[in-house]
Amino acid sequence: MRIKTVYKLAVVLTRSQIRGTQRSKTLARIFGEPRFIIAVDLALLIGLGFSGYLLLSKGPPFLREAIVGMEASALAGVPVAIASAVILFGVLYEISQPIQSLSTDIVNWLPISPTEYVAGSTLSESYIYSFMLSLLLGVLLGPALIFGMGQVWLAAALMATIALAIGSCVVEVLDAITNRISSSFYKKSGRSGMFFRLALTIVMLVFVQLLFSGQIIGYLLQSVIQTVEIAWFIPVVWPSVAVLGVSHGNILTFLEFALLSALFTLVLFEVAANFRARFWVPVPVAIRLSTQTYHAPRLRLHVPWIGIGESAILRKDMRSLTRRREMARFLAIPFVLAVSLGLSFFPLGGESMSDAPGLLAIIPLYLLPIAIFVGLLSMTSIGQEGYAVWNLYAAPINPSKLLRAKMLFAIILGLLFGVGMLAVFSFLLRPLATYFWVILALGLAVVFEESAIGICFGARFPDFREIVRSRYVGVWGSLLGMSVGIISAMLTAFPIIISVIRYHSIIPQLVSLSFIFAFAVFVVASKLANSQIKVLLQNIRT
Amino acid sequence: MAVKGVSFNVDSGQVLGLLGPNGSGKSTLMKIIVGILRPDAGSILVQGVNVAEDPITVKRMVGFVPESPRLYEFLTGIEYLDFVADVHGLEASVKQERITEFLRALDLEGRENELIHGYSQGMKQKLAIIAGLLHRPQILVLDEPLNALDPRSARIVKDLIHKLRDDGVPTIFSTHVLEIADAICDRIVIMYDGKVLEEGTSEELRAKGGTSGSTLEEVFLKLTGTSDTREIVEALTR
Repeated sequence: MRIKTVYKLAVVLTRSQIRGTQRSKTLARIFGEPRFIIAVDLALLIGLGFSGYLLLSKGPPFLREAIVGMEASALAGVPVAIASAVILFGVLYEISQPIQSLSTDIVNWLPISPTEYVAGSTLSESYIYSFMLSLLLGVLLGPALIFGMGQVWLAAALMATIALAIGSCVVEVLDAITNRISSSFYKKSGRSGMFFRLALTIVMLVFVQLLFSGQIIGYLLQSVIQTVEIAWFIPVVWPSVAVLGVSHGNILTFLEFALLSALFTLVLFEVAANFRARFWVPVPVAIRLSTQTYHAPRLRLHVPWIGIGESAILRKDMRSLTRRREMARFLAIPFVLAVSLGLSFFPLGGESMSDAPGLLAIIPLYLLPIAIFVGLLSMTSIGQEGYAVWNLYAAPINPSKLLRAKMLFAIILGLLFGVGMLAVFSFLLRPLATYFWVILALGLAVVFEESAIGICFGARFPDFREIVRSRYVGVWGSLLGMSVGIISAMLTAFPIIISVIRYHSIIPQLVSLSFIFAFAVFVVASKLANSQIKVLLQNIRT
Repeated sequence: MAVKGVSFNVDSGQVLGLLGPNGSGKSTLMKIIVGILRPDAGSILVQGVNVAEDPITVKRMVGFVPESPRLYEFLTGIEYLDFVADVHGLEASVKQERITEFLRALDLEGRENELIHGYSQGMKQKLAIIAGLLHRPQILVLDEPLNALDPRSARIVKDLIHKLRDDGVPTIFSTHVLEIADAICDRIVIMYDGKVLEEGTSEELRAKGGTSGSTLEEVFLKLTGTSDTREIVEALTR
């Protein structure tokens, strides 16, 4: 193994990943240099450590009392947390790669051995996720110094570094296996395989969302510490067991599990290198979705203003949403929002929404997810065409046709989401019939206005680049679009909210005002979106 | 500015070859002709219709195959062609007949239900060519259409261009392969640095190049000022 080659490869892979995901050129330039990454990591570690030390030594005593006794457990939790996070983020990175980029790994054609590749890639992963190490160790440095646990902190730092390598090696192994398995799997299973992949990706994204919710983090941390003490036979937790050994003053346990952890890392590395050697180049597989002979479908939607062209674009966008793995995150949004809302509803304890103030609490909780979901779908619907957008430029499609097709796409999914969510709300909160219909109508109105607002910003700030974690809309565009969308949704609900606050009931005139406002927003935003698409279609931007 | 001061006509039943080194503005010019780029000045008339004023009508008439076409990789070949046929408003019976015919002719039959992602470059090129011809265009704009094609498919495409020429369809055709330009094109425009250097039949160009009896390649290299290749080759093999 040539160390220099490994280092150079690690630098290239780090730059490639950072520059591929980071849109700010300055940040991409800074964090594309491993030397700067290390410098920033050290600054973070020392800065956090120093601040924590100052806060605990000079700050009020209750701060120290609040965390006393937790330090050893927290330090022991660092290695296992680091390994889990690296595996999770690594897998998510793989998921969010556009399908086109998988078979164009230039490195595959260079004279680099599998071992060198795996070493370089592991080192690169370690560079990229090292900030997590600095963050956690930095936060725990101050308390460790205050409570005289410097030795435990040092052990945690060493074992967390090993855990970082373990996580990176696991990602390498998973990467090689999934390349191979998914290729064979999709080839054999076709359409059902794609559905399975979509479902799996959504489950994983919802899982990540759950993982980062406050309630769940607390529960998991507790479980990890308990697991560390009993599950010594699980190799991923060995680094944490080693840290616990130091905290209990048992150096022999530390040495034993530190050695085991290092050996486990080497074994994983060897497995990853072997897999890489065996499944070297990921080959794009031929996935057959049907065996039927072609019969031209007559799939025109019999909806006014929706012709064959609009139906064709709509069908294409629906297929894009369900077949592109990088689009799964958009389908995951309703589930993620449902889970987040579910967690928010727990404290309500199933209160009935039979009074007007209850309605007041529900309106924002119902409209915000709709505004976010429909806004995101419509805003990204232009940019998600990617480099294949020339097909639309070259086709005889006028702006209004494209606008109608893209709006219909967001509206159909938005309506499904809105109705589905209201069904859950109704089940949980048993609203009065009047309230049910008012909320439903309000939701539908917001779906329409958000679809127009979203496309307006999506066409003004499209991002057609096919990179890892493509946004499909520029940063400013998404910020502005989302803000305008949410404000508009809230303003639509405003007359009804006033009606509830002022009169404690639903006043028809104020309800009408809400819908007049929504209609006006829809008309104005549609006209603006149409003119933005017109400008967009004049000059191809890819 | 990628293209400036370019002016030429393509008559019915004529194949015009666009030649030029990389970056000479051929692809930009083609995108302007088909209405996906708007020129800062000047005008382009396709069958008498101004592209800038009525791009939709022009797009209905034009069949365009871009250089290295990017297709919707999440669609199957048949779904992609069906999509293109629908946005051109073809009737179901017409698209059924044409798609089946083209798939058979270009050896894609049996692979049409596979995702485009798994297609080879040549298969993607064939699909883009079919998509460009599906609506029976009144003018063809082909940017390096023979790229990545196997000899049989390349021959079919060349014969197809000849057949369409006989039917009176004008074609603008860019290529780097000068033998192909010599064999297919009735007239040739040589572009360099966004401008037209020379225009004429291959015989006229040979005569203008002042190298009677020489090949089109020699004329091209002389006109584009890249004829002195010996030193470069020597430097590369040193």
